[in-house]
Amino acid sequence: MYKDKVVLITGSSRGVGLALTNYFLKHDAIVIGISKGNPNIEHQKYHHYSIDIADSASIVNCFSTQIAKKFKQLDIVINNAAVLTSQFSMIMPIKNAIDMVNVNLLGVFFVSREAAKLMRNKEPGRIINIGSMAVSLEPVGDSIYAATKAGINTLANIMAKEFASYNVTCNTLSISAIETDMLKQHSEVARVKIKEIIKKLPIPRQAVMDDVFNVIDFFASDRSSYITAQTIYLGGIN
Amino acid sequence: MKKEIINEIVVSQVKQLNDTFPEEQQFEIHDNTVLFGYGSKIDSLSLVSIIVDLEMLFSTEYNQEISLTDDRAMAREKSPFTNINTLVDYIYELINE
Repeated sequence: MYKDKVVLITGSSRGVGLALTNYFLKHDAIVIGISKGNPNIEHQKYHHYSIDIADSASIVNCFSTQIAKKFKQLDIVINNAAVLTSQFSMIMPIKNAIDMVNVNLLGVFFVSREAAKLMRNKEPGRIINIGSMAVSLEPVGDSIYAATKAGINTLANIMAKEFASYNVTCNTLSISAIETDMLKQHSEVARVKIKEIIKKLPIPRQAVMDDVFNVIDFFASDRSSYITAQTIYLGGIN
Repeated sequence: MKKEIINEIVVSQVKQLNDTFPEEQQFEIHDNTVLFGYGSKIDSLSLVSIIVDLEMLFSTEYNQEISLTDDRAMAREKSPFTNINTLVDYIYELINE
């Protein structure tokens, strides 16, 4: 399905990003993974860059000195990397708040803009952001996290306008709770809270990776050239 | 890098853009061709394209990392993007710092 497509995935070392990386490799794509840590995948078609997504200068430098020269083109970008600290606003550590803005929002901005430069005027380009149900549900403790995720919805919507003439679409898949490393790091209290939230969803279950793959395939499809500036929530959230 | 070569590169990029326009919208290209502001025949998105193309071209083909839109460019009384001449001068300045 993705034979010879060049797919860039941020946060490729774990969780949803790792699952997406394996999914695209299974479907014959060439995958460029970006994450802070070392690669968790060894595959002929997997190329890893160890970069902190919060470091915008490193992202820009990696694109101009490495990715542009080695791959010359990009077909699909999935902005997946994110960090989450769930805490009441008044006691949220300053560093954690800043990290969320730098990774979840500015990281998406810089990766998208550098990627769009490589996508222009070639095959159709697809930028897909991984958003969150927190934007809609606005849970207590997630003020900064939800705000950054709301921010990437807006980024995608405006970039969709700016990049449309270059054949590049920008969309957001807002996932509901899914069993990942990020979710596991929650306290027991928070996990109970998430279970309560899930119970109240129109489809009261956790998301599974196939739910994610389904929407990613839709956004990434060559047939989706008329689908841009859209946010799809899983599980019936709106 | 000599200014004449930079001029050739910039003119070539503007020409490539011009060639994508319908014949009736194409414009004459010379050193004083206006790129930005009053009298420009290209829209802002096309100018962005030229800027990005030039940055990438200098990086990939000439190993010269230049940023044409940093604070210095924006702070100048006369924009480096006013016309081809000013853009060539600005790139020459960046490359030779």
